[in-house]
Amino acid sequence: MRHRLLILSLLFVLIPVAQAAEQLRVAGSTTVLPIVAEAAKYFRQQHPGLSLTVSGGGSGVGVANIDRGLIEIGMASRDLTATEKQRFQGKVKQVAIARDAVAVAVSKAVYEAGVTQLSLAQIAAIYRGEIKNWQQVGGPDSRILVIDKEASRGTRHVFARAVLGSERARAPGATIITGSNNEEQTVIANSDKAIGMLSHAWLNDAVRAVAVGEAGAAVLPTLATVADGSYPIQRQLNLLLPQRGGKMSIAFVGFLLSAQGQQIVQQVGYLPVH
Amino acid sequence: MLKFWLTFSSLTTAIIILAVLGFLLQASWPLMQSQGLSFVTGTEWYPYEQLYGMLPVLVGSFWSIVLALLLAVPTGLAAAILCAELLPERGRAALRFSMELMAGIPSVVYGLLGLWLLLPLLESQFDLLTGRSLLAAGLLLALMILPTIMVFSESALRAVVTEQRETALLLGLDWPTRLLRLLLPQAWPGIRVAILLALGRAMGETVAVMLVVGSMDRLPQPLYNLLQPAQTLTSRVGREMAEAVVGSVHWAALISSGLALALVAMLLSLLTQRWRS
Repeated sequence: MRHRLLILSLLFVLIPVAQAAEQLRVAGSTTVLPIVAEAAKYFRQQHPGLSLTVSGGGSGVGVANIDRGLIEIGMASRDLTATEKQRFQGKVKQVAIARDAVAVAVSKAVYEAGVTQLSLAQIAAIYRGEIKNWQQVGGPDSRILVIDKEASRGTRHVFARAVLGSERARAPGATIITGSNNEEQTVIANSDKAIGMLSHAWLNDAVRAVAVGEAGAAVLPTLATVADGSYPIQRQLNLLLPQRGGKMSIAFVGFLLSAQGQQIVQQVGYLPVH
Repeated sequence: MLKFWLTFSSLTTAIIILAVLGFLLQASWPLMQSQGLSFVTGTEWYPYEQLYGMLPVLVGSFWSIVLALLLAVPTGLAAAILCAELLPERGRAALRFSMELMAGIPSVVYGLLGLWLLLPLLESQFDLLTGRSLLAAGLLLALMILPTIMVFSESALRAVVTEQRETALLLGLDWPTRLLRLLLPQAWPGIRVAILLALGRAMGETVAVMLVVGSMDRLPQPLYNLLQPAQTLTSRVGREMAEAVVGSVHWAALISSGLALALVAMLLSLLTQRWRS
């Protein structure tokens, strides 16, 4: 009986303490997510009382949820658009924590059959539905499975601006639409005729990047070609932080920009900003 | 006292249903205001360009549900008849138990099974670019609603009173006549509920459909082509709800997708009620 009372009173003491602990919710781009998730491990050790949750959803979700005040930090794998900047004027700031290449990824079978380089015009023609067979770009005789992404995804904004001319351009040649990087990676890996857009950190043996540019001058997406600016489809990975953010949000962003944070960026496979 | 509580709770239920409808109507108002009723007939959905055409998803939802019902109702009913009338007690218990088990599997598991087994199968069988299609969604939905139809119909069949069965037997009626003239008509109210519940699940199912339908907002070419990637009402809401700004026209358009589902469900419920009498 005495034990029970003790436990009960302990509970009553602990619950308010748990509620008082600062809460840090981070959501948005699945491209930025690996950096933040890895950093969160270290940050939690440094701040044991903190409740820190990290979830995906895409850049559009990051922006919308910061707008609604549902999260403390948003993640976006693209820059804010003009309308968003206007809306967030003086309320939310964008902090770049890494740089990344958007790879034009193809299935292993396509790559090994000879499609190792595509020009921006060829990629655009594929997404506009003007090129429908891999043979037209030096590949095997098979139709092209063209993977587009949900319109709100940061990767799509960046890709569409570089390839199709505008961040919201339509892609009438698309066959299916996917959401997160993982979803798209799986589709490309499971197919033998797919093309898609992926952060270069998601490339692997079954999902290969083609060099982008005219034959002879094409550039592969690597950290080096992002750093020297020669790869054409690249971007900043950003955090969205309210101007009146809590102490912990500011500390966490600071941690990501610190030497240790930037080392994590490199570990995960992106280019540090410092 | 009991009467009071019964009245109270049924009134509460009615009020909640009306409130939900009212909320859906109110929240989808901005869309009606900006687009009129043209959003039902529009074929293009590009939120960035303020285009909210619902026709492709309406067609997508229609085909996936019709396909699921066409497959699941006859099979489910056949299994129910087998189970209730023809099998010995032990077989009946085993069949019913396995169906109840199937009904309890979460939808995301069906979705993953679809991704893993169904899509590659469709790709190789029909020589498709991708197996993601209305056919995949319909097949998966059929599998998901089959246990609902079977379990409820079986209960309804077994509830037909013994005296009637015995009378029919004594009259010397053969098995097909007994089935078609006695058992099915007597059990129809229960079977109708089974089909409506199954329909409700098929219409509302989001995750599993989202995984296999391809999420392509485009009218099938031609309209009855089930082998192309498409989009349904629920899969679109699932994909876009989190990014829509509350109160925007985009948000209203997603809410009205929900409203469309609710209205169709009510309409069907009313129609089958009339059919019965």
